[in-house]
Amino acid sequence: MVKRTSALSDALQLAWVRLRRSLTTILLTAFGLVAAWALLNLVIGGQCDGKCVVDALAQTLRVATPIAFAAFCGVLCERAGVVDIGIEGKMLMAAMAAYSVNLFGFQLLQDALGPVAAGNVSRWLALVMAVASALLLAGLHAVFSIRFKSDQIISGTVINILAIGITGYMYRAFLAENLPAGPGTFPLVPIPLLAEIPVLGPILFHQKPLTYLMLALAVGIYWMLFYTQWGLRVRAVGEHPRAADTLGIDVLRTRYINTLLGGVVAGLGGAWFTLEAVDVFSPLMTNGLGFIGLAAMIFGKWNPFGALLGALLFGLGNSVTATVSIFRPDIPSQIPQMLPYLLTIIVLTGVVGRAVAPAADGQPYEKS
Amino acid sequence: MPPALQAIGITKRFPGVLANDHVDFTLQQGEIHALLGENGAGKSTLMNILYGLYQPDEGQVWVKGELVKISNPHEAIARGIGMVHQHFMLVPPLTVTENIMLGQESLVSATRMLGRLAMLDRRSAAARIRELSRQYGLAVDPDAIVGDLPVGAQQRVEIIKALYRDADILILDEPTAVLTPQEADELFVIMRGMVKQGKSIVFITHKLREVFAVADTISVMRGGAMVGSLKPAQATRELLAEMMVGRKVILAIDKAPARPGLAVLQVEGVRVLDDRRHVAVDGVSLEIRSGEILGLAGVQGNGQTELTEALTGLRRVAGGKILLNGHDTTHATPRQLVEAGMGHVPEDRHKHGLVLSFPVRDNIVLCTYYRLPNAHGIELDYAVIARQASELVRIFDIRTPGIETTAGALSGGNQQKVIMARELSRLSERHGAQNGAPLLIASQPTRGLDVGSIEFIHRRIVEARDAGAAVLLISAELDEIMSLSDRIAVMYKGHILATVDARTATREQLGLLMAGVTPAAARPGQREGAHD
Amino acid sequence: MTDSASPKGAVAGRGWFPLLQRVVDLLSMPALALLTAFVLGAVVILITSGRLETVGEAYWGLLRGAFIKQRGFSESLVAAIPYVLLSLGLALGFKTGLFNIGVEGQFYMGALAAAWAGQAIQGVPALVHLPVVLLAGAAGGAIWAGIPGYLKAKTGAHEVISTMMMNYIAFRLTEFIISGPLRAPSGSTIQTPRISPAAELWALWDIPNRLTAPLNALTLSLALGFGAWLIARAAGAGGQHAPDGASAHTGIGVPVSPFAGLIARITHHASRHLALVVGLGVALVSFVALPPLTRLWWPFTDEYDRLHLGLLLAILAAVGVWWLLWKTTIGFELRTVGANPNAARYAGVSITRNIVLGMALSGALAGLAGTVEVIGVSICRCLPLFFSSGYGFDSIAIALLGRNNPFGILASAFLFGAMRNGADLMELNSGVSKYIISLIQALVLLFVAAPAVVRWMYRIKAAPRAAEAPLTRGWGG
Repeated sequence: MVKRTSALSDALQLAWVRLRRSLTTILLTAFGLVAAWALLNLVIGGQCDGKCVVDALAQTLRVATPIAFAAFCGVLCERAGVVDIGIEGKMLMAAMAAYSVNLFGFQLLQDALGPVAAGNVSRWLALVMAVASALLLAGLHAVFSIRFKSDQIISGTVINILAIGITGYMYRAFLAENLPAGPGTFPLVPIPLLAEIPVLGPILFHQKPLTYLMLALAVGIYWMLFYTQWGLRVRAVGEHPRAADTLGIDVLRTRYINTLLGGVVAGLGGAWFTLEAVDVFSPLMTNGLGFIGLAAMIFGKWNPFGALLGALLFGLGNSVTATVSIFRPDIPSQIPQMLPYLLTIIVLTGVVGRAVAPAADGQPYEKS
Repeated sequence: MPPALQAIGITKRFPGVLANDHVDFTLQQGEIHALLGENGAGKSTLMNILYGLYQPDEGQVWVKGELVKISNPHEAIARGIGMVHQHFMLVPPLTVTENIMLGQESLVSATRMLGRLAMLDRRSAAARIRELSRQYGLAVDPDAIVGDLPVGAQQRVEIIKALYRDADILILDEPTAVLTPQEADELFVIMRGMVKQGKSIVFITHKLREVFAVADTISVMRGGAMVGSLKPAQATRELLAEMMVGRKVILAIDKAPARPGLAVLQVEGVRVLDDRRHVAVDGVSLEIRSGEILGLAGVQGNGQTELTEALTGLRRVAGGKILLNGHDTTHATPRQLVEAGMGHVPEDRHKHGLVLSFPVRDNIVLCTYYRLPNAHGIELDYAVIARQASELVRIFDIRTPGIETTAGALSGGNQQKVIMARELSRLSERHGAQNGAPLLIASQPTRGLDVGSIEFIHRRIVEARDAGAAVLLISAELDEIMSLSDRIAVMYKGHILATVDARTATREQLGLLMAGVTPAAARPGQREGAHD
Repeated sequence: MTDSASPKGAVAGRGWFPLLQRVVDLLSMPALALLTAFVLGAVVILITSGRLETVGEAYWGLLRGAFIKQRGFSESLVAAIPYVLLSLGLALGFKTGLFNIGVEGQFYMGALAAAWAGQAIQGVPALVHLPVVLLAGAAGGAIWAGIPGYLKAKTGAHEVISTMMMNYIAFRLTEFIISGPLRAPSGSTIQTPRISPAAELWALWDIPNRLTAPLNALTLSLALGFGAWLIARAAGAGGQHAPDGASAHTGIGVPVSPFAGLIARITHHASRHLALVVGLGVALVSFVALPPLTRLWWPFTDEYDRLHLGLLLAILAAVGVWWLLWKTTIGFELRTVGANPNAARYAGVSITRNIVLGMALSGALAGLAGTVEVIGVSICRCLPLFFSSGYGFDSIAIALLGRNNPFGILASAFLFGAMRNGADLMELNSGVSKYIISLIQALVLLFVAAPAVVRWMYRIKAAPRAAEAPLTRGWGG
């Protein structure tokens, strides 16, 4: 008993040390928020009041969700030493799978269950299928990069292009026209009591299920990586696979598992597009968010909390530009639309030099 | 008592190589058994088989009287076999505790039902490490980040890692390669202590001196086969050397006394930062004259790499001045230094020295492809390049199917010869009298090579000296430094502690300097006692 | 010496049989990759349509559309031209260790720059305008790729992410410029103004008419002359006949008598000028002979045939890239940086400069592809809104299928062009969506990217191969 409490207090102490280390980041973030708000009001002439700020922040969290999922996928893969740039493709695939299962599942179940129950069942079924389809691509990437040791960046690109090919084909074959009405996206799930808190409530606790799941995953993955046996082994495999191997840790198995776990997370991110954001699927709808997620991962130095912060940064950029286009319709829409991509490049160039990837990232493991 | 470990008729083939050819090896309980052999003799292969990293094609392994099949390190560990690898198997960003418990983690018992997601119990692991550290006299700090530790401490972590797994058979693969002579002696004391507490140790080395210092039994391997086993009392250095190489070996290099001329390289108070922006070279001053070899000794990681990179234009010089034949080259680029007559045999031939996917031909002109006669304007003249490459392949006896063969397909010795050919052929060029004598900087020129290649390369370096070149030789092998150099500078924590005459220098004196101990007499003169 | 070179990676011996073997070796992997992709494509068609006949109808339609129907073959060539240029750009990037995944964006920027330059100047002859437009397009792509290149060299920002982001920015930017600042004043469709006729890349059927103007004839003959010079140069007329005394320069060999060296030097210089002589000769002959000859007889008479001079440009680009990469110091540096940047630094090669140069050249080729689409293919001779190409990703597959070799790329680009062109008739013929082609193309990429998979599928033993240069490197840059 004594032993456990001491281990827990160790864990807490470690967490506190890490928190203190990231204090600068937190302060900078706060400063950035204020600056963004000031700049926003400058552009739109002081029209953004309190409600508008809260809305923008809630929107930030919403938009950050798929980016964060993508970044978590990256963290899981790359901590084990597998570079995954196929996140975009996995999300696209998952978005399509979720949409079609949601739609056609609903058609099948509607008569038997009634519209409300059928909607619920088909949405969750869609989520499962989204994860399954992303898992399939992740499995492909895993086999290619781990079993066949092919170039991981090329393999990830292959996943992306394959996903574009498959979704494009399926879209034209089945989803382009004459679709019946679907059950729609997940409804908002306000958390009782917490949602009533002023300011924080509407931002954090008045969201849809995947957003909550994303926040829970940030904590979960962090804890798993740094406090559990699994995490220690994963980090060892990503940094020095041969050392891990000499201690009897199965490097390839660890990498397979993590790449597949990454696929699950990317699948959730893909499901966000058609189960939380909008009720249609369109080709290429992921719009580079998978790549932005990778940038968020690098920004966050391969740490789930850092990655979440990066995702929130992009979410903020997005919601600010959205707010701008609402208040200033005279600015051509393409200009603010460019900003997230510009922001990604700026973040990449500013951070990447100082962030060090896991040492064995991207190198196939050759069992001597 | 059955032997602790016994291998019978072990054979292991790799594509194109017979790494182990019916090897027999017996480790008695409670002994230190030295396994001697030059690079590529098959020692590491044999040990990797005993540790379960490779599977033998033929043969049996017995552990404590029991016939076993060790198919992975896990099983080796379970049978009480621990191994300290030549290249440490440590994960730099993790702490000492995390490294040691990796694969055999202590877990918080209440969370055990979570399986792999059980929480780590760092505190109880650290307590166990402290205990082992006390018991065997291996000082380590369990909370330190391994990447921040000096190599000596990292080695102790490696040993504790094996002890933590209750190993009673320890395989130490070239453990002294990274140590000063004194540190090596300390390690031998620790090894003796471990044997007293019931451990059995296999000690792999290619240094004859160490064998006599510590071994109870000596086995020698050559070309994948076991040549023989004997007791230290029956052995002599000459006998062991002959067993290792298969012919009589001249242990000392025959070279005429140096006839130093004008100063070629002058280094004045140079400061250099390492990758993490720490000062790695702190105010180093050196002078090398035409026709002499200055050896730079020191334990790996004391700034030699950074100094070499600074001298060859690969790393920014943060302070001080470098003169090459009187011209300021402090901030010269590698290209300018090539033009000024510098040859550089880099420390890591795969990282810097060669483009492994390029043919030998292109590697021969790697530094001179851009100028006449190799190129006219921007157009390469492959006829000229090929002729030049063929000639160097012949002169330097590079064993290759042809100049179109990729460098990566050559053996280590031949790869190194390609580099030597390229750099030395450039030195013998004469372009413009104002350039003065050439400078050769050779960093670990014989690392990982067999004796034949080592002799060849040593001879070439001495020839370059005799032809008037100034040579800076950086090596982790004290023997190499002592036998080749005319003067020896010892580097410690970014400083040059002393420069001594090679003819009078002793191993003990250099060892103390490498460990940072300066006799009062040697302190004032960074440039004393040098040339006659 | 105890060590001897291992037999691995030995060069093939001389003679016909080994040569044949090498050709088979080189072709077998791409061929098997193609075969597998088409078989898998057939499976997909079978599953989605449920009829075996559909597979036959689809592939027969593809074949007819690509080669047999009227103008099928030349349309396949038309589609292959941008593929060649884009894939050459990618291959050049790969050789420099860069994965320029953003060729699509550079294609757009090249098209935009060309559309601007094509209409900004009016009334100058093709001799001036055409090179200006081509240069503008190349510059547009080069700058768009050069920025991520510079950022990679200076800060380590990985080009895969930054060029991808540059893609999205390029799409928005062209959209904005076409619908705003550069919108054609008249007409309801949103597009840029029509370029000057002098900036157009001539269709092949149009050549006899164009050549009636002497300045146009001069333009074409200069282009042909340049092409002849380049080919002669790359084929080795020059640079191959080294003076025999060359070994004297190494400082090791026995110096040959100065007289022999002198003779060798003279022949050497003569042969260097040979390429120039050939080029000038071709230019002169074509200037004099082409206009009357083409009026007498010209094989291309179909006014609806869109095949254009971009074909010549694409072939010259392939030769040029090959020459640059393998025969010049510039290529040597690019390849060294690509294969081992540390060794490059050691050898005094600037990594920064070569990364920027590699990206810029890669982007320039992509920009040229965009240019060709605007000035040679587009019906409106302008850059329309919704100028969707989708060429970019296909080019990755083409470059890898062609093993990053310019001549391999010529072949694989034609194959992909044919597939793209045949897809419409396939859809018409069988009812299978033409997007099955992108699926098949993705599968081709899948299999050429991982030869190990193909070898495993067909149980082929891996040929022992020496160290190969990596295609890409991890985040570290």
